[in-house]
Amino acid sequence: MTASERLFGARQAFDHPVTRWIVIGVVLALAVAAVSIWALAKAGAIGETQRDELKKRTASWIVMAPLIIGPILLGAFWTMLAVCLLSLACYREYARATGLFREKLISLVVVLGILAVSFAALDHWYGLFVALFPLSVAAIAVCTISIDQPRGYVQRVGLGVLGFMLFGCAFGHLSYFANDPNFRPMLLLLLLGVEMNDVFAYLCGKSFGSRKLAPNTSPNKTLGGSLGALALTTTLVSCVGRPVFAGTPAGGWAHLIALGVIVSVVGQLGDLTLSSIKRDIGIKDISNLIPGHGGLLDRFNSLMFVAPSVFHYIGYFNGIGLDEPVRIITGG
Amino acid sequence: MNNWKLDPAHDLGLPLKERARSLRREDGLLETLLHATWWSFVRGYLAVYHRLEIVGRENIPAEPPFVLVANHSSHLDALALAAALPARLRLRVFPIAAGDTFFETPAAAAFAAFVLNALPMWRRSCGPHALRELRERLINERCAYILFPEGTRTRDGCMNAFKPGIGMLVAGTQVPVVPGFLDGCFLAWPPQARLPRPRKVGLRIGQPVWCSHLADERSGWERATAELEAKVRALGGPSRD
Repeated sequence: MTASERLFGARQAFDHPVTRWIVIGVVLALAVAAVSIWALAKAGAIGETQRDELKKRTASWIVMAPLIIGPILLGAFWTMLAVCLLSLACYREYARATGLFREKLISLVVVLGILAVSFAALDHWYGLFVALFPLSVAAIAVCTISIDQPRGYVQRVGLGVLGFMLFGCAFGHLSYFANDPNFRPMLLLLLLGVEMNDVFAYLCGKSFGSRKLAPNTSPNKTLGGSLGALALTTTLVSCVGRPVFAGTPAGGWAHLIALGVIVSVVGQLGDLTLSSIKRDIGIKDISNLIPGHGGLLDRFNSLMFVAPSVFHYIGYFNGIGLDEPVRIITGG
Repeated sequence: MNNWKLDPAHDLGLPLKERARSLRREDGLLETLLHATWWSFVRGYLAVYHRLEIVGRENIPAEPPFVLVANHSSHLDALALAAALPARLRLRVFPIAAGDTFFETPAAAAFAAFVLNALPMWRRSCGPHALRELRERLINERCAYILFPEGTRTRDGCMNAFKPGIGMLVAGTQVPVVPGFLDGCFLAWPPQARLPRPRKVGLRIGQPVWCSHLADERSGWERATAELEAKVRALGGPSRD
């Protein structure tokens, strides 16, 4: 596969069977959800408020799913562009919620850092990609020295570094995944695992959860929901992951089960991380961009730490895009 | 070390349309970039097309909060007053614009909010509530306002009486009010003309006035308003009365 085929080759979109099955599965699941909400409401099994809430959530998913899956199918370039926009939009939500947006200089450096990380991923230049993490942190730390106002320095730099690390660095790994020729099934598996993890935790929590997981951080989460999600997500990820990683060092069952545990545990921790941030600030939703869900961050929080964790886990066994041409823009 | 206050954007959660019209609107990076581009364009335009001449720039306080007031005869007025500010302050200045002209349609509101950085004042239903909100923002946030107390552009070139809103905004506060007088704007762009003409425009800026000694009630508002009107008229020179 040439670099341009990987970046823009929409014709290869459905080459891998797992890509096909996940896309078909998502389309079917949304159709079933829409029909069953309609049927349940018609039969009078659910109340009006519950119906409206479910409708809103499903409608949001029907809009979001093509926006998430579309770029991945279209090619690596579009995937990286979508991740870059996602990082910027998430940083904006974070900055507006924490008040960091008033520090224009720090925000500018974080945004430039996110753009640079996206460029390094697009260029397939791993050296620059990893170099940007310490360098951006250093830039955030020094950029406000020139205004000579040390009051609040630690807090504004701390918030800036956290923002860059969460949205530039962590999400950047999703971009870098697209340098692997097998990026479509891998990313779709990751997204499916993370989103289903949330759904499993919600459903298990409703069915057999009573002991609170972290009542001060997120009062609705239960231990039962968390453990149920761990079991179900691990099963899902390892089973769907089997054909994705077949014949590679990461393709054994033990490795696949470990992958599933990573997705579930780290995903839930990402969720709790955002809950902690919101609790500290004292807001419920970080914005109101997606009806029924809250902000982009409320939807993608679980992905924050899963991206780098899975990246380095798979990278350890298989490597990511090792046979692909490197530095395709800068040369060298 | 100072305690960082985790203070979310005051317009957090507002839909874009309402955000544009909100008196609590706060700028992000993108809006700041738009304002900066816009104001540098405006400065260039005023210097070249209207040969803007500013006298008394040194009277502008080094740090906000302050309020710039002037006579109002054209849409160039707010631009000329903003152009008199140093770049550092220009991003912290809010022109107070008529809601019914600048914020009625969504497109106009988006331009006024995200490019001009204007805050709306609804002339038909301008209650004391909106003025209170503006007053609090001025004090707490250390920003600057550009305001035309006549309430509307003069239709005959003569300055009209000030409305008491300006008094309600500043009476009893430590916020200085800087009077300015704009010369030539009426000829450059009278309300009846569609586009501005290449006439010379001048701006005279007077010394700041404090209204801290005046009470924050009707008599104080009226005195502050009268005092400021007199200052602006004086800058215009006796021949113009």
